[in-house]
Amino acid sequence: MRISIVASLAMTVLTGVGFAAGETPLPTKAFLQKYCVECHGAKAQEGDVRLDNLAADFVAKTSSETWGQVFSKLEKREMPPKAKTQPKEGERQVVLDWLGRELRAAVAARHRAEGRVTLRRINRFEYQNTIHDLLGIEANVMELLPEDGSAHGFDKVSSALTLSPVQVEKYLEAADLALDAALGVGARPKFIEERFPATELLANWENKTYRPLESGAVALFNSGYSPTELRKFRAPAPGRYRVRVSASGFQTDGQPATFRIYGGSFGVGGKTKLFGHFEVSADKATVVELVERLDNRGDTLKVMPYGTIPWQNTAATYTGPGLAVQWLEVEGPLDAKEWPPATRKQLLGDVDLERGTVADADRVLKRFAPLAFRRPVSDADLAPYLRLVRERLDKSVPFGDALRVGLKAILVSPRFLLLDEQPGKLDGYALASRLSYFLWSTMPDEKLLAAAAKGDLSKPEVLRAQVDWMLDHPNARAFTEDFTGQWLSLRNIEFTTPDARLYPEFDEWLQVSMLRETRAFFDELLQGDLSVLNFVDSDFAMLNERLAKHYGIPGVTGLHIRRVPLQPEWHRGGVLTHASVLKVTANGTTTSPVIRGAWLADRILGKPVPPPPANVEAVEPDIRGTKNIRDQLAKHRNIATCAACHVQMDPLGFALESYDVIGGWRDRYRISPERGQRADTFTLVVNQRDMRVALGPQVDSSDTLADGRRFRDLIELKRLVLADKEQVTRGLAEKLLIYATGQGLEVTDDPAISDIVRNVKAKDYGFRTLVHEIVQSSTFQNK
Amino acid sequence: MHTAPISRRQFLRGTSVAIALPMLESVAPFACAAVAGGPVRRMVCCCTTLGIHAENLFPAKAGRDYELTPYLEPLQELRGDFTLFSGVSHPEVDGGHSSEASFLTAAPHPGASSFRNTISLDQFALEKLPPATRFGSLALNIGQGGTGLSVSRSGVKLPTDGRPSEVFQKLFVNGSPREVARQTERLRDGRSIMDTVADDAKRLQQRVTARDREKLDDYFTTVREVEQRLQLAEDWVRKPKPAVDVPPPTDVSNAYDFVARTRLMFDLAHLALQTDSTRFITLMIQGHNSVPPVQGVTIDWHNLSHHGKDPEKLAQLRVLELEQMKLLAGFLAKLKSSRESSGDLLANTMVLYGSNLGNASSHDTRNMPMLLAGGGFKHGQHLAFDQHSNTPLGQLYVSMLQRLGIETDRFASGKGTIRGLELA
Repeated sequence: MRISIVASLAMTVLTGVGFAAGETPLPTKAFLQKYCVECHGAKAQEGDVRLDNLAADFVAKTSSETWGQVFSKLEKREMPPKAKTQPKEGERQVVLDWLGRELRAAVAARHRAEGRVTLRRINRFEYQNTIHDLLGIEANVMELLPEDGSAHGFDKVSSALTLSPVQVEKYLEAADLALDAALGVGARPKFIEERFPATELLANWENKTYRPLESGAVALFNSGYSPTELRKFRAPAPGRYRVRVSASGFQTDGQPATFRIYGGSFGVGGKTKLFGHFEVSADKATVVELVERLDNRGDTLKVMPYGTIPWQNTAATYTGPGLAVQWLEVEGPLDAKEWPPATRKQLLGDVDLERGTVADADRVLKRFAPLAFRRPVSDADLAPYLRLVRERLDKSVPFGDALRVGLKAILVSPRFLLLDEQPGKLDGYALASRLSYFLWSTMPDEKLLAAAAKGDLSKPEVLRAQVDWMLDHPNARAFTEDFTGQWLSLRNIEFTTPDARLYPEFDEWLQVSMLRETRAFFDELLQGDLSVLNFVDSDFAMLNERLAKHYGIPGVTGLHIRRVPLQPEWHRGGVLTHASVLKVTANGTTTSPVIRGAWLADRILGKPVPPPPANVEAVEPDIRGTKNIRDQLAKHRNIATCAACHVQMDPLGFALESYDVIGGWRDRYRISPERGQRADTFTLVVNQRDMRVALGPQVDSSDTLADGRRFRDLIELKRLVLADKEQVTRGLAEKLLIYATGQGLEVTDDPAISDIVRNVKAKDYGFRTLVHEIVQSSTFQNK
Repeated sequence: MHTAPISRRQFLRGTSVAIALPMLESVAPFACAAVAGGPVRRMVCCCTTLGIHAENLFPAKAGRDYELTPYLEPLQELRGDFTLFSGVSHPEVDGGHSSEASFLTAAPHPGASSFRNTISLDQFALEKLPPATRFGSLALNIGQGGTGLSVSRSGVKLPTDGRPSEVFQKLFVNGSPREVARQTERLRDGRSIMDTVADDAKRLQQRVTARDREKLDDYFTTVREVEQRLQLAEDWVRKPKPAVDVPPPTDVSNAYDFVARTRLMFDLAHLALQTDSTRFITLMIQGHNSVPPVQGVTIDWHNLSHHGKDPEKLAQLRVLELEQMKLLAGFLAKLKSSRESSGDLLANTMVLYGSNLGNASSHDTRNMPMLLAGGGFKHGQHLAFDQHSNTPLGQLYVSMLQRLGIETDRFASGKGTIRGLELA
């Protein structure tokens, strides 16, 4: 994951860093003369590169970048061209040694002078969390903002977090939206507190798909198409609602029944949000309660059975399992229970929004600005923002409107949008922010700011206690979800829908459970300081009934995730066997060892393989079961130019071939046979129906690593990977360091990373220890 | 009893929020009068993100007497109005689906972890030819993701409009005097805010290091540009919008009904061009993971695109893609039947249509299916380039920019114009 020296240099703008130009040593001069200047000299400057008069100046941008190119081309043996005379190994090494030293020293000098991290703005996830914490609101502002770019695998890195006019315009809009919500402008939304009989769930049609019960309850059966939204209720305003549903199993033979609740408009364009899956007992009415946000006025709720037949219309006589719903209760918007909302008082104190004075505005901004800017604000720094409000009040603009302009300016200020850090060791406030955006993806809270003010945050034991406290706080969910979302690509979980004919057992609940498994696993290691090597292989898994069924593991019932000890014959252990990871690395129809191998090399081994050269032909997937992926890929390894990379990644991917596109175990591939093509089949029972799936060739998950070590299957590959425990740890440490500091790594970061790895190794590779070591490192505590 | 934990984070996921100030997002940076003389030139760029099955699209023969293929059948009547390109792609644009980000930008390696996008064709044209229209450009989207094709100079994806009713509103519906006054005030306040924070950025700059100063410079220039855009928006707020003799569209309730949705967007694009509300439009037609309500289709779209040569899937894919070709034909015919002072609308409007994927089943980004209609070229041919060593698509973009009257011989990886495409 480390960036090469060259990339480091390319990112460097070495202005004013004291590093005088020296002399190019004679061997290098001679080398250039002999092998380079014919094309890059006085007569010809191929690619606009001229080397005969290149100064040994590693400070100036152009010369240092050119030297960087020279290093890279020589190191990768891309120059001199194959057709020209090639240098002897010794000659080449002398040049590389000298250049490498000089380039490293230049990067180190820049770090000393400027710090390694470039000023960055907060990304839109961080923006939303920050606005929420700052104003105490929950409005969805994230979707208003343009997507952020990422660099080095994370959307926290300065070089990717650019600004554009569109973005700034959207920040203005978002600030308005947020301030509207916090101040509670306009009329008080209607507050609803009502119980609806279950019959309100039903569309106004003939009663063939559901069965009204004598008790007034309604039995629902269909888990596929089911227009069972609560039509009598429409959210009077966006906000949080408390929802209670009374339900029980119906004809479930003593088994509990599972159902789902969704929120949304169920109409034009609006999105539908899954609020959750719930389980109720077979015959006793049980009440489930949830508090969820409905994002739009007019949204409503929908209750649907799970695991029942997708569709039937003989409800009066149907004998299969269903769900009896007695009633639904809705209360909300909870934010409007009090009006104006409590958040207004939090922002304004006792100041009256209708009749405030200039002095009132001063007070409000003086209290608000330090929170928004995450550090104390001097009067001089605050003055321009105050002036905005004053000018308006002088012109008799109503107080609320005038104050809003000042608040909005603070929310688009560079001091709010950018994380302010000064070269050298971070001061308490900068450290507090770095810590908070690392572990919570939001602004520091009062406790952290107080520690910063006291000035002892950088004391190792204080910092350690703070990190422990933060990791145990519910806000640490942001770390689990955001980091795994990017490190393990879990953000892509919805990217493909598996082919329903090949994978009829796939459903939404399985997908939700997949994410929960990986996040719970991450948390389990983090909370218990268990070894990071568990990410590669573990003797336990975090499962619920749905996942256990998917994995063929007996004895796990219910919706909640719990720790389950594993048996070898279940083929599970480590994130590589998580259905989530196996799904995001497949395309819904087929798996590609190349894609999975490249993923594994980067994310788990910390040794990314370069992207394919331009204009290579991709392997065309074929699910008729007649072509063998191994034969198709063999040609990569037989062509020298392809082989260099493919021998590194393809074998890793082959080890995962035993797992299908939704992470199920397979001995044989599932196929879609052509008409007339004969194939074995097997039958799956899905939602009370038999589904037949055709089987093709046997899976072969054996291969040989680039270094010659052979393996038969994933179990053996995991053993080979774990032969180098330090590399696995290093790979993860690098990802965490990029995520935590918002900057890619450079050669000069190597010693710090080695220290981290050594310290973590000494404590049995504990994951929580690793997070502590990252925070305690000088890399984290310096700009 | 089960109680779902009340999660703050869970609220983060959610639906889009419609809010005031719809006009800001694509105001032209600097308005000036249209270049005197000659027709008004326009450009519409569309990308369908899940490929177009090559075997049904490309004729075997190159040149003017190419044979009709299944997908070209709907365009039969318009044969003289478009050119089909094969053997073109963006060099070094790989990364499967992520290549949609580079469709109009040609920025290399969109799938790489350090990918940084560059300016898109429409925004580049807009920079060079700031028109005197209410909207500099329109970025439209069909699908649920909301992403579009337009990218700013700094590599930020421009927000898109996905709801026809809202596009219609912003193009043609005037606000009440009170709304106009309120909006004017907000725009003015916005300008004062920009002024204040720009000054603050200058103050901050005094104490930061060189690289940080560059970042603050970015902030400063961006904020100054927004200030100007707000000023322009304010000018436009006061002017009445063009009146059109069309009822406001009703949004299509089924999110997967791409046929109805695409038709509505094409209709709006046509109206926007006809009223000279804008001259540059991009349209991202996002394939989705659901079954579209099209007769004969039972498998979800994304899955069909990964057909793995499954004959059933290929048959369904053909139904679906043929619908898309019919929609395109309808749009082109509508432009052609709209007269304006210098010929018909199609003659003055380049319509680029294609996909970022050459073979969606294998995520191959080479041999992109590309078609250019209208705009005043000598059309009517299949320009076939080398399938194994593709011609940079950027060359076509250079041809298009030159057609707009922009003096450039480069766009991204395209150097020079594309061979064989001549002005009419």
